[in-house]
Amino acid sequence: MAWETVVGLEVHVQLLTRSKMFCGCSAAYGDPPNTNVCPVCLGLPGALPVPNERAVRLAVRAAFALGCAVHSRSIFARKNYFYPDLPKGYQISQFEEPLATGGRLEVVSPERGPFTVGIKRLHLEEDSGKSFHDRVPGMTAVDFNRSGVPLIEIVSEPDLRSPAEARAYLTALKQVLRWIEVSDCNMEEGSLRVDANLSVRRPGEPLGTRTEVKNVNSFSNVERALAFEQGRQIAVIEAGEQVEQRTMTFDAATGEVRPTRSKEIFSLALSGLAGFFSLPVDFIQYFLDACQVFFS
Amino acid sequence: MSVTRAEIQRIAALAELHVDDATAARLEAELSRILDYVAQLQELPDGGDGDGDPRAGRLRRDEVAPDRLEAPPTDFAPALKQGLFLVPRLGELDRGEDESP
Amino acid sequence: MTDFRAAASAAAERIAACEAKGTHAFLAWSGEAMLEQARGLEAARADGPLAGAVVAVKDVIADRWFPTTCGSRILEGYRSPFEASAVRRLREAGALVAGKTNCDEFAMGSSTEYSAYGPTLNPVDPARVPGGSSGGSAAAVASGAVDMALGTETGGSVRQPAAFCGIVGIKPTYGRVSRYGLVAFGSSLDQIGSFGKDVASAARLLAAISGRDDRDSTTLDRVPLSEPGPAPTSLAGTVIGVPREYLPEGLHPGVRAACDRALKKLKELGAEIRDVSLPHTKYAIPTYYIVAPAEASSNLARYDGVRYGLREDGGLADVRAMYRKTRGAGFGTEVRRRIILGTYVLSAGYYEAYYGRAQRARERIRSDYAKVFAGGVHALFTPTAPTPAFRLGENLADPLQMYLSDIFVCTANLAGVPSLSLPIARDQGLPLGGQLIGAMEGESTIIRIAQALEAALEPTAEVR
Repeated sequence: MAWETVVGLEVHVQLLTRSKMFCGCSAAYGDPPNTNVCPVCLGLPGALPVPNERAVRLAVRAAFALGCAVHSRSIFARKNYFYPDLPKGYQISQFEEPLATGGRLEVVSPERGPFTVGIKRLHLEEDSGKSFHDRVPGMTAVDFNRSGVPLIEIVSEPDLRSPAEARAYLTALKQVLRWIEVSDCNMEEGSLRVDANLSVRRPGEPLGTRTEVKNVNSFSNVERALAFEQGRQIAVIEAGEQVEQRTMTFDAATGEVRPTRSKEIFSLALSGLAGFFSLPVDFIQYFLDACQVFFS
Repeated sequence: MSVTRAEIQRIAALAELHVDDATAARLEAELSRILDYVAQLQELPDGGDGDGDPRAGRLRRDEVAPDRLEAPPTDFAPALKQGLFLVPRLGELDRGEDESP
Repeated sequence: MTDFRAAASAAAERIAACEAKGTHAFLAWSGEAMLEQARGLEAARADGPLAGAVVAVKDVIADRWFPTTCGSRILEGYRSPFEASAVRRLREAGALVAGKTNCDEFAMGSSTEYSAYGPTLNPVDPARVPGGSSGGSAAAVASGAVDMALGTETGGSVRQPAAFCGIVGIKPTYGRVSRYGLVAFGSSLDQIGSFGKDVASAARLLAAISGRDDRDSTTLDRVPLSEPGPAPTSLAGTVIGVPREYLPEGLHPGVRAACDRALKKLKELGAEIRDVSLPHTKYAIPTYYIVAPAEASSNLARYDGVRYGLREDGGLADVRAMYRKTRGAGFGTEVRRRIILGTYVLSAGYYEAYYGRAQRARERIRSDYAKVFAGGVHALFTPTAPTPAFRLGENLADPLQMYLSDIFVCTANLAGVPSLSLPIARDQGLPLGGQLIGAMEGESTIIRIAQALEAALEPTAEVR
């Protein structure tokens, strides 16, 4: 085999809670714009986040199901950047001390049969609002209903070796998360989103430069986008050039992957959310809860 | 520790803060002085517990019980149309899952 | 039954008189609003612990009667669509909210000169500052315009103005009072505090607003603060520590003499005075001026013109240009300085060297206090400020000079311990404050000691 493809996936999954991650607004999808908002999820001056217990419980349940080590103490951090649908100018997420690390998922590869994908980490964070460009000409319109909805981010190890394996991983992950009732993993409604990282190398060589592909709205498109990007990178290297580390976007109409101007996420991550104590995880209680779900 | 004009402008861009030349010049001097002063923390040995606050926070029950807005967004939003907050269009920056018609 | 309407009208006259002198304690106040509140309280036959008290609220705390500007142009005219928990508790205790007081912009400052709406004058000497950042609230109480006021502390901003204006100011234990509705500056430091003309009134206000709040997950779950009792006549059995780092060589002679006099009084009351040490005190200001601006740069990111407040977008095609113009125009000099400083110390490459180190220094400051209190000391006594109130304009040329005026007060914010300032003397007519610092959740102890000292001292006596 001339080339080896290396893929890692970051999957964002909305949790099945009634209310948002840090406030009591409804987390429901599809309501009229800016009707499920409050001082907290609008980032009004003086508002404060209070974490949702069920979100923590579901995140821990997912972590157990994926064989992760769940940390009884983890910390919220802030990822600061400016974007119209990010009301506080920062996203509350987890950084150096995430909720869970070191798990695995069994996947059946169309090319090599059953194999194990490592899960690097699983952490809790909040979703941003939704931006609509040019719905009003020359303007960006923002709906904050989605702002603050609970998410878990699941980061895989770069153990996938083909676009088809990436799709198989996503299918397996969705199956698990749905079965344990953590999320409905509906890509169309945005309750599951994928950022795919791909690089290529000659076997035995160190990892190549990777690009990040975003804006893929179905599992089959993930496979298409990665297939395109794989081919593009190989062509670049064979032409004697270097692959640039870029963020890419997928165009579903043409099947092409194009560079996009990457968001200026200058992460000024204040580790340990200032003014927020650490996240308590009632380990025993959540473990029993998870067992109840898994074995019922 | 001296901060350069270029660094001031880079930081100002990160903080989305317009800083004119006169202000940048002043900030260069002031910040250098302040950073020199706070550098005395280097006297302290590294390491040590630094485990941060050991207290755990409280969680909230998952129920729909929003803190209502006692005045609607129309009262405080600079620009609102069809229930959506409006801003001048985002330039080339694209998060990737934003919608365009 | 309290005569709420009489209280409201009397207060309106007093506030008008205070402001007519040019004090500029208030950014917004209204006799009509007080009367309307009075009618409501009357109809409800309210009789809480603050029934009929007239209270002013610092303009970084959200209320529903007046705008909440934080002393900034970026929130000019902004009316909060929700009320701070502390203000709600005030009203439930039967108090009348008189108005919103002036402050340094976003509570960043030590003199109230950084308010975008002009400074507040010290009622004792109008050529001098009232202190900051809660200078408006301090001046409103010191001038007799209101009975009590709410201020806020991030680095001494209640105690220092209390000392400069000759009144009492209390900063509670971190987590004692809900921060829901307090516009965040340094979230791990911020607390709402109380001003009163005497210890009992400041303590009563604090008790009324304290307690667990589900909307603020950092509020303490413990025994609530009780109402202050009568002043003790003896402090026998009380051990008061004097940290030697707070009475340095070269301390202002008036401040020194005032502290000596107060300590002598405490001894006469039967307290044991003990020499102690808080060895990491010298790192307090550098630590504070890394941690607070870092947190501020993050907390102030939400002021972007998108959802509320000032928006400068005339002729601008792009949202980023709108951000830069809005924030550049809306924020004043000191706020911009701190945002740049804060962003710098958090940025990649500098994070460990500055913020990481400052966090560890903070841990050491916290444990200095823990060790001293574990050693049998009930409270610490120190001067509140290194000098009496300085003149308007005196510290504006050099920001670092301004920062150093917080040298005795900011360790308590870094450690989260409660602290109180009470007037202990005058130096050439200018008030001087003495500071009592307690162990975590030790408000009752320092309040009790302060009451005893207050009763025994003549606070306006000239010290030199």
